[in-house]
Amino acid sequence: MAYLERASPALKETLLKIYRAEKPIEVDQHFHEFGSIQYHIKYSVSDPSIVHVSTSTLLETQGAVTLKEISSQTYEVIKNIAVGVIDIVDPPRLGFQLTIGIHLDNIPRGKEAIKIITKISEIQAIILSNQLKEMLRHLNFQDDSRPINNNNNNNRPIKIVYHPSEPFYVFKQMKKITAVFPMNFKDNSDVVIATSFFQEMGKAPQCSWSPIPPLQLRGEPVQDLTTNSGFVSFDITSRHVEGKRLDKTVWNLLNFYAYVKYHIKCSRGYIQRRMRKRMDSLVKLLNNTNLEEEAAQNENGRCKYVKEFVKVPKGKMMMKQRCKEMTRRVKISKFRIKINGCARLRFNQRWISFPKFSSKPSNKSYTKLD
Amino acid sequence: MANSLRLYLACIKNTLEAAMCLQNFPCQEVERHNKPEVELKTSPELLLNPVLICRNEAEKCLIETSINSLRISLKVKQADELENILTKKFLRFLSMRAEAFQVLRRKPVQGYDISFLITNYHCEEMQKQKLIDFIIQFMEASDIEKEIRDLKESVNTRGRLVATEFLKQFM
Repeated sequence: MAYLERASPALKETLLKIYRAEKPIEVDQHFHEFGSIQYHIKYSVSDPSIVHVSTSTLLETQGAVTLKEISSQTYEVIKNIAVGVIDIVDPPRLGFQLTIGIHLDNIPRGKEAIKIITKISEIQAIILSNQLKEMLRHLNFQDDSRPINNNNNNNRPIKIVYHPSEPFYVFKQMKKITAVFPMNFKDNSDVVIATSFFQEMGKAPQCSWSPIPPLQLRGEPVQDLTTNSGFVSFDITSRHVEGKRLDKTVWNLLNFYAYVKYHIKCSRGYIQRRMRKRMDSLVKLLNNTNLEEEAAQNENGRCKYVKEFVKVPKGKMMMKQRCKEMTRRVKISKFRIKINGCARLRFNQRWISFPKFSSKPSNKSYTKLD
Repeated sequence: MANSLRLYLACIKNTLEAAMCLQNFPCQEVERHNKPEVELKTSPELLLNPVLICRNEAEKCLIETSINSLRISLKVKQADELENILTKKFLRFLSMRAEAFQVLRRKPVQGYDISFLITNYHCEEMQKQKLIDFIIQFMEASDIEKEIRDLKESVNTRGRLVATEFLKQFM
């Protein structure tokens, strides 16, 4: 179980697409969410008034309460999402726990429709929450005075697996129920961040963290009790199960893994951001050591005043001036006799042809030499 | 700054000032090659004795000098698991971006967390005194250690706030 939002975004999007389509479209979609939840959406053009949504989740519970099938109470809750819109199909589609038929014609128009579709997308959350709610209620109503005895089957911890790699245990103690989460992470840095988080959590009275499993879990499979981040336990008293609080408590328990993972992801992002910032400042510091930069700075300082006096022509003007200068120099170098004061006279031009340098691109053509 | 740290850094600074008199020197083994002798260690006559400066067991600095290059390796203090992870992450992050630093070695010398390799070309391009100051500042509490301490504090603070938010819903 790994979502912080109740509604499944993929399911909601598909249902809205079907609902908003001007002409009926053929939909036959099958998708998985979080590795443990699967959905199947079937909508055919031949029957455009009804959409079939099938869903199933991994359900493995052991102990006193076994809930392999959806209870009648959950069916009632699902039906009450929108009376007249949702129909439970019996038997469900092969390989699925539940199939519902959504009557599109009965959905009211406007904002209400989006509200109902969002509620329908929360179907998995409703199923999972109801199962845990029933479990907690069932345990709570048992006799509190019964001693804790692991041999007694009624007091054995219940293993709840909503995701293959995220099982958790619920067991009854004197006047309270304890939920234990064995925490495992793949990455070493995740383990360290999570452990510091759990240590902070363990300071609260209803929550505790220990690197070793609680005594009550003795006898459970070794692979479930082998963790790298210890065990987090939450004490649930009767106060937590009363009225509306039950829904909140159940949702928090279901989302604990997702919450921790989200915290780790955010922390890692924060660390990365800080490191990048620090690296930039270090690079800036190192760049200050460059000799060239300093020399350039000095030069800039020195030439600042010179620049003001000497104005260099730019662009075309500059190019023309260069060409003229070059022509003049060639002329001077090719004169056989140099007479001071006669440089301006042009009578020598008939003896020698001077190459002309021009900035115009059209003058750049080649001439064949004889 | 703690007194012991000041002494430690002053010692490193003086050693670096003495060691950073590098000159261009072609490789004696391969013709027309110019390689940092401190890395190759092919000719013992071109190497100086390495200097190891320790503040304590967890914090030390190794300065290896040769005729045309200088290698500085640092070991940073890691008090607990979180600091260890953060230090590794940060120094790896810097090493991966070594091209931006020029003098940073991509892989630290064994037993150290980060290494710098300064060649005679770096000394020609950069100002020697500023280069030394950069390394000292890198080591100073104002940089690496402080950064890691700050990171640790903020990770813990975030953790506390997130835990409080979660537990508020349980109250």
